[in-house]
Amino acid sequence: MDWGELLVRRWKKLRNTNDYRDVWVFTEIKDHVEVHECALQILGKAREIADKLGQNLVSVVLALDAEQYLPVIEEHGVDKIIYLSHQDLKHYHERIFTDLVYDLIKKYKPSIFLFPSTEAGNALAARLAYRCRTGLVSDVLDLELSDEFGNNLLIGDKPAYLGNIVAQIICPNTRPQMCTVTLGTFQKTKMRKENVEIIKVDYNFDKSKIKIKILEAPTRRDKPSSTLSDAKFVVGGGHGLVSKENFDKLFDLAKLTNGQVGGTRRPILNGWMPEHLQIGISGESIFSDLYLAFGISGAIQHLVGITASKTIIAINKDPNAGIFKVADYCVIGDANEILEGLLNYFRV
Amino acid sequence: MLKIFVLIKQVPSLHNLQIDKRTGTLIREGVENIINPDDLYGLELGLSLKEQYGGEITAITMGPPQAEFALRECLAMGVDKSLLITDDQFAYSDTLQTTLVLKETFDKIKDYDIIITGSQTSDSSTGQIPFQLSEALDIPLITDIFTMEIENNLFKCHRNFGHESQNISVDLPILIRVRRHFNEPRHISLSGIKKAFEKEIEFNDFNTFNCPEYLDGCNKSPTNVVRTEKIVLKRKNEIIEGNINEKVQKLLEIMQEHGIEKIWTGESF
Repeated sequence: MDWGELLVRRWKKLRNTNDYRDVWVFTEIKDHVEVHECALQILGKAREIADKLGQNLVSVVLALDAEQYLPVIEEHGVDKIIYLSHQDLKHYHERIFTDLVYDLIKKYKPSIFLFPSTEAGNALAARLAYRCRTGLVSDVLDLELSDEFGNNLLIGDKPAYLGNIVAQIICPNTRPQMCTVTLGTFQKTKMRKENVEIIKVDYNFDKSKIKIKILEAPTRRDKPSSTLSDAKFVVGGGHGLVSKENFDKLFDLAKLTNGQVGGTRRPILNGWMPEHLQIGISGESIFSDLYLAFGISGAIQHLVGITASKTIIAINKDPNAGIFKVADYCVIGDANEILEGLLNYFRV
Repeated sequence: MLKIFVLIKQVPSLHNLQIDKRTGTLIREGVENIINPDDLYGLELGLSLKEQYGGEITAITMGPPQAEFALRECLAMGVDKSLLITDDQFAYSDTLQTTLVLKETFDKIKDYDIIITGSQTSDSSTGQIPFQLSEALDIPLITDIFTMEIENNLFKCHRNFGHESQNISVDLPILIRVRRHFNEPRHISLSGIKKAFEKEIEFNDFNTFNCPEYLDGCNKSPTNVVRTEKIVLKRKNEIIEGNINEKVQKLLEIMQEHGIEKIWTGESF
């Protein structure tokens, strides 16, 4: 193939991208109870992007009794809502959701499609990106439109190497441009557009395509109602708390303040807390407003899990502890004394 | 006989990262390389399935030529065969391109029962491959498994899915994504190391696949990395001075600024 031919092909591809317009947000319904907070936050950022492009912001909803969620979505700046409502859409289903949303993409041709970075959102986005043969940038830290590499291209900032570097990624020649976004990345904005257009799409799916037979499916009782990753306030503990008795005080503090307890690897090895409360590389990442780190030295394995927390307070005896480098407020002193002091206030 | 395939990736160890300013990608020379930690759980699952049901297990990776060492490690763990997909044309492949190459690979293999992956890699951490390969091969992906059994061609398992705990059955072939800490990956034995160097590694390159032109990683990947920067964490690092009471008082103020207040629990501590 010579260069001329290559350029013509590229140009053809680019021209086709002009057929695609509008910014879509997969507006996930959490546990068929409410609109996922992360989806509302994405709508806030997507509104900005749609305004800059002079295009519509479209919310895509698949749920059981989907109508009940539409008023909340209308409060968050959408121009249009496309929804499907059916019993089969009560839970995310890999085959049903992928087929139905792919049909919508083929029909309406969105230019940008954003998803919450959740169990369902990540799975759906990856499957759709394959079907559309387009790119998907996962867990973006920020999004901006730029003319630097092409007309109004979306640039996604993606963390890589366990959050050690950030890569800026574009998807120049294929559409839609797709990204997933973690909770707490963007701010939701309350605003209401006049004449929100609402499109109901009929549910139509051939169930013989489903290969997995579900024999029984009781509701999970073990699934915690709130988890570390969506906690607004997290108290963390490390080896510096010295004893299980001291570590237990973290649970008291969390209970009194509606917070969540997490920790490093050491408390698990010491038998002070269960494994699912670990924060860091082999555990959870937190996105809290405030994180209080008691007696944590600050190994990189832990730090990568807390960097998304808005404010970090570290309490440690050792003034050279690594955790102080990433803390907003540093308290050099005995973590146990400070913990006891805080508890005395909250216990009253 | 079960044909089991485990997908692994060689990743750089995370100390002393260096980035090529021109291409925006990581400089791999001089960096210690390891098997992606999540993939070890997949290898262990594959090996234990083979021990229980019999069959043959193959480790597959795509990467630069030095990824051969990661495959030697898999062979030392007890894997029967290994395949390295490597070609300059595949360099800088994004997830879609990687999926398309893997699809070509499995279309050529034809005979597969179980393909196992880890949750995500520690370098690019997209976690997209299991889902995309499930689409590409049109076989079901099973995640978050606890117990499983295989009868003839039927795979039965217990898994968590959303907020349900499901008992499912599905015909092979399938893809399994193993979660972290699912099992205890085995250590490499001395005899394993000896065997690893007696076995041959199969190589596939661009020309192995009748060369569909869309497989050119660098030019055909839909996503391009345009810049990379090392993240420098900027925090206030404000030191709170004073005696213990003053420190506690200041912390309480900061907590209040963040909307954290005492709630009534009805319990006494």
